[in-house]
Amino acid sequence: MSVTVSGTGEKPAVNWDQPGDEQMFWQLDRMHFPNQLLMMEDDFIRTFYSQGFFVAAEGYGAPIRPHVRRFFTRHYLAFAPLPLSEAELEDLGKHFEQNLGRAIPEQRNRWEQEFLPEIRALIRDWEAFDLAGASDAQLLAHWDVTIERLARLSRIHFEIALPMLLSMGLFDEIYSDLFGTENSLESMRLLQGTPTMTTRMGQGLWRLSRIASNSPAVRTIIEEQAAADVVPALERDPTCAPFLAELHEFLGQYGHRAETWGISYPSWVEDPSPAIKSLKDFLSQQGRHLAAELQELANERDRLIAAARDRLVGYPAQAREQFEFILTGATAGYYLSEEHGFWIDSYGLDCVRQVILEAGRRLAARGALEERDDIFHLTFAEARDTYTHPGTDRRGLIAERKAELTAYRDIQVPPMLGTEPAGPPPDNPLYRTLGKFVGAPPPPSDEPGMLRGAAGSAGQVRGRACVVRSLADAQRLRPGEILVTETTAPAWTPLFATAAAVVTDTGGVLSHCAVVAREYMIPAVVGTGMATTMIPDGAMIEVDGAAGVVRVVAD
Amino acid sequence: MNAIADGTNAMEHSAAVVWLGDSACHDPRSTGGKAAALSRLAERYVVPHGFCVTSTAFAGITPPVRLPSWLCDRVLAAYGALLATNSPVAVRSSAVDEDGALASFAGVHETYLNVRGDAALLAAIERCAESFFSPRADSYRQQRGAEYGAFEDVRMAILVQQQIASDVSIVAFSANPVTSRRGEVVVTASWGLGESVVGGTVTPDTWIVDQGGERLRQEQIGDKRRMTVATEGGSREVDVPRVLRQVPSLAWEQVSEVARLATQLEQEAGYPVDIECAYAGDRLYLLQCRPITTLPPGDDRADLFHSARYECSGQ
Repeated sequence: MSVTVSGTGEKPAVNWDQPGDEQMFWQLDRMHFPNQLLMMEDDFIRTFYSQGFFVAAEGYGAPIRPHVRRFFTRHYLAFAPLPLSEAELEDLGKHFEQNLGRAIPEQRNRWEQEFLPEIRALIRDWEAFDLAGASDAQLLAHWDVTIERLARLSRIHFEIALPMLLSMGLFDEIYSDLFGTENSLESMRLLQGTPTMTTRMGQGLWRLSRIASNSPAVRTIIEEQAAADVVPALERDPTCAPFLAELHEFLGQYGHRAETWGISYPSWVEDPSPAIKSLKDFLSQQGRHLAAELQELANERDRLIAAARDRLVGYPAQAREQFEFILTGATAGYYLSEEHGFWIDSYGLDCVRQVILEAGRRLAARGALEERDDIFHLTFAEARDTYTHPGTDRRGLIAERKAELTAYRDIQVPPMLGTEPAGPPPDNPLYRTLGKFVGAPPPPSDEPGMLRGAAGSAGQVRGRACVVRSLADAQRLRPGEILVTETTAPAWTPLFATAAAVVTDTGGVLSHCAVVAREYMIPAVVGTGMATTMIPDGAMIEVDGAAGVVRVVAD
Repeated sequence: MNAIADGTNAMEHSAAVVWLGDSACHDPRSTGGKAAALSRLAERYVVPHGFCVTSTAFAGITPPVRLPSWLCDRVLAAYGALLATNSPVAVRSSAVDEDGALASFAGVHETYLNVRGDAALLAAIERCAESFFSPRADSYRQQRGAEYGAFEDVRMAILVQQQIASDVSIVAFSANPVTSRRGEVVVTASWGLGESVVGGTVTPDTWIVDQGGERLRQEQIGDKRRMTVATEGGSREVDVPRVLRQVPSLAWEQVSEVARLATQLEQEAGYPVDIECAYAGDRLYLLQCRPITTLPPGDDRADLFHSARYECSGQ
């Protein structure tokens, strides 16, 4: 699509170039993609991820379909109901709920027996391939295989994501129905404390910090060097070799996460600064015991489940059975939300990224690109075409695309585009759950200096706001400060061990940020819509996680 | 403090607590209309086990009510014989009036659900007895004037029954209360304890069935939004989980069983009845059976489902 910026101070106008787009309701998705989208990222989302979502929605018989577009260089998402009569949609909705009812109890088994072995085999193949040593023809063949695998990963992603999200959404619903609470945090506490790849990552990092604290040389380097200089400094000191080996092992296992979802950001393997930053913070927090904290969460979870069962003794057997059914499903869903993020969104996509980077390196060497990473400014088809046609020069095209990014970089883009639906969203579990995941528009604030969002994780705390725009920027965060950001992705997780609380612009109670904040037992208010623009960096703020309220106490 | 009659009379002691199903419990002048009717039903139907603290035990009582120790002993002995320690019971007033048949009086008194343990049981009986003297009950008595005696003549009985953990509560009519059509049974049911069904806070599932429960004539599954559940020491109304709201609360076999029960009770009584009952697991308990006192004139064209004023709770 093309867009025109009609002068400063005016809202950018959309040229709708696909039929039907203007009739749909597009929402800016800053939660998954807070930054401008490079062309290849957009191609990936549109051609692969959203197609995977589309196929899964079709497979489960969902009454809606997802659509994605890149408007103003940003990522927009629309959920459109199928063009059916109200009665047909209702029938389809029931059919969908039945399908999900069958998928939910199967999801963990299906992941472990079917999907995870398949994904691990793909990753093994990717890692076994000698990227640097491959001939151009071999790399091209590998590129094509990689594209097929990317389509497959995207399919699996949403076959898992739909029952996973629905099970948690349904659990939240049944919990509030049965116990008369509107506070979603309470229900989510019954799911917490299960070891996941995320908590294992946290503990792996914690273990590294203990090793570092026992080695004066390592400790001094981590404490005194800037995060980016730590690894080179460790490499220069032979006494640090054992620690360095541990660090590389950790990164090989858990370091495939990147700043945001997608393929265009480096993982920790490429740039370990975020992990190093966490090591620095852990070294300054000697008194903490991450394993004990997780165990405490698990104990609390078991207590809460027992208490819920006690309260249900006087309820109809059918209600108790439904509660147990959905609790089991949601526990699996909770586990899978971390698991699929680790294996698909982080590890799998990092493997894809490495293939793209190798192609980019070769294209840059040929002069088709200015530099390796410029390949992300091309679509997959353009990149392949460039690769198979020696002599092609993409530098002009890429310069145009970079100019487009620059033109839009500081433009405040509309949070919504297209045609707002006339009535409230359909009252079905899928819509309700999507609302809890991507977040609803925040309720208006009724006092100056106060922001409202969704309750993400309970607790009250006062601290200095560290308003950040990127993971690199977040390296400024000091223990006791409150992280204020548009969104968080898995690579941000270690910051939760440092922050006193988290406030985001985007997301709902089921969002990544809210889930991780609960695991780390820090307050979180999510989906405020505008915390990063309304809260001055360095301001003293008060966060009430359960109430979903943030107050600026002093600028 | 006004003590209850000291009760040194052995005759009075033996008549103070009587068991549902025993002939001693059949006399409405001593156990009230509700308990006496249930007692007769308990002989041949599955009625939750229980006992009645009779008007004899409460003779001469005035508020504030404190049970004398001999009566406490008898009540607790009966509780121990009824159920395992700390099992839940329901405590209800059973009004005693001169002719022993005026059931509606019961409505102004109280019910305590899910009462557990000795102390809670005694307290519930005392509060229940106090309710006979409540301003509400008093004004009711004044309205009805001559039908009741003076304040000092208030007579009461209290029913203590095993609390049924109802999965589904049911109100059924052996004749269609809206169309007056005989020969068809109307079964209404919803999740949880009976309060939400009887109190009309829920749109129940409704089935119209041939007498004898052989053939379904009409079925309407309600959007059952609320249910009453037992909580620690009582009950409360909560939302029905969304996944259960439009699920039929009874299977056809259960609807049929209820219809057969209503038909049989009508045949025995000789007049149309409305019944309250409940399923706990597979077991159907009969909780109450009364005559349908207000069958409107027969109109075969009237449609139960389109009658806005239709309520499942018949008095």
